[in-house]
Amino acid sequence: MRWNDDQQALHDAITELGDLLSENRAERDAAAVFPRANWDRVRATGLLGLPFPDRWGGLDQDLLTTMYVLEGLGHSCRDSGLSFSVSTHMVSVGVPLLRFGSAALKERYLPKVCDGSAIGAHAITEPDNGSDIMGMRTTAVRDGDEYVLTGGKTFVSNAPVADLFVVYARTGKAGSPNAITAFLVERDTPGLSVGTPIGKMGLRTSPFSEVSLDGCRVPATNRIGGEGAGFLVLDHVMKWEILCSFIINVGEMQHRLERCVEYATTREQFGQPIGSYQSVSNRIVDMKIAVETSRKWLYDTADKLQRGENVTTDIAIAKLTASEGNVSSALAAVQIFGGYGYTTEYGIEQGLRDAVGGTIYSGTSDVQRQRIARMLGI
Amino acid sequence: MSTEVEIKSFIVRNFAPDVPPDQLEPDLNLLDSGVVDSLGLLRLIAWVGERFDIAVEEADISPDNFRSVDAIAAFVADARRNSEVAR
Ligand SMILES: Cc1cc2nc3c(=O)[nH]c(=O)nc-3n(C[C@H](O)[C@H](O)[C@H](O)COP(=O)(O)OP(=O)(O)OC[C@H]3O[C@@H](n4cnc5c(N)ncnc54)[C@H](O)[C@@H]3O)c2cc1C
Repeated sequence: MRWNDDQQALHDAITELGDLLSENRAERDAAAVFPRANWDRVRATGLLGLPFPDRWGGLDQDLLTTMYVLEGLGHSCRDSGLSFSVSTHMVSVGVPLLRFGSAALKERYLPKVCDGSAIGAHAITEPDNGSDIMGMRTTAVRDGDEYVLTGGKTFVSNAPVADLFVVYARTGKAGSPNAITAFLVERDTPGLSVGTPIGKMGLRTSPFSEVSLDGCRVPATNRIGGEGAGFLVLDHVMKWEILCSFIINVGEMQHRLERCVEYATTREQFGQPIGSYQSVSNRIVDMKIAVETSRKWLYDTADKLQRGENVTTDIAIAKLTASEGNVSSALAAVQIFGGYGYTTEYGIEQGLRDAVGGTIYSGTSDVQRQRIARMLGI
Repeated sequence: MSTEVEIKSFIVRNFAPDVPPDQLEPDLNLLDSGVVDSLGLLRLIAWVGERFDIAVEEADISPDNFRSVDAIAAFVADARRNSEVAR
């Protein structure tokens, strides 16, 4: 890809912040706390409003430019939890609002999404229904000018710190693709309660928790898209989520690759740099292939999406390639660094813990394979 | 082959191989009856877009456009009319 001066300037503005965002990474990871001060630093760059029109305070950039800047964030920032919270915020509320929201909803909420004064989250997964989204049990029942939401969601990233939730609930016949509807719900709406952060393996500075809906009354005007359109709203959001969150991973993979090359050429064993042993250099070559393949798939898919082409298969391939490539690259790095790779100090083991989640969120690897098979007519 | 017949034969071939095409009611709700599930809907949208040259932007706004053979045929006719006007 070739980037013009404006795109480069946006990219550089965030990468210059990388060192500051990475300070005390190990301590924050151990404590599993959301880095509010760093969130405010990211806010100040305008990054959160990148793909949104300037009339709502956004930077009016296209998807590819947004991804390029996010790749820069991934390359420079060692706090993957913060980066994950950034992409979750951008895509969970802003993207469905921009595409499917009413003019009034956009006017009211997009400025807060763009400047990050209200943090966004989306609540899809339920304790008994994860991959099987269409089986969700949370219901939304129309009552006059309102919908009444009842049910429970889990693993909702950003929930402990979020102000705005897009909640997906069932409004029709269980299992039917037009049975789900999306709603924008403010955190202080009576009946909505947020659980305490759930402990997890990686991305620990990006908190997730349960969200309960107990007769939660939401104005019908807060519906995003038509009644029953929720599955296609979600499909659109997932495309953005995959492209934005995994391009951050590409930046992280690139940074990891550079560290491994540096280490393999300076660390000596048996009187030679370890990179001179083919079993080590081959691992690095595989890391290079993984990052280049992931980058190509993600940008190519984004380009097709931007041109209005159908990317249902491409997005699944891109997600699989990037998420599994990230895990294998992170594991290779631990091995290349040996015992040092296993210590918290070097941050290499954190990369592995952070990478695993990518094979689960936005549809597991199995679900992506199933999707590709179905598109092939199998 | 008319648009309706083409849509019917795609649906039967891919989602209801046991049903003879002429027995698939054009107003049957394909989504609520379970003939087309969520992944099936994505496949159907992709096929309609490709076969009838309709931009995905228009196609993915509402699953209602894909609820029956009649609805899909009407959606295709609308999209074609709109692209004629745009030209
Ligand atoms: C870091 C992280 C962040 C997340 N953030 C959010 C969020 O912001 N909002 C939200 O709503 N959710 C979020 N999730 C939840 C995530 O979307 C779900 O965990 C995921 O969809 C899988 O659902 P599940 O955990 O219930 O697993 P299950 O669906 O129970 O799957 C268990 C295993 O069975 C396999 N499996 C299931 N069905 C099939 C099938 N048909 N064919 C083959 N294999 C199958 C799966 O691949 C998996 O290996 C997050 C998860 C993680 C890890």
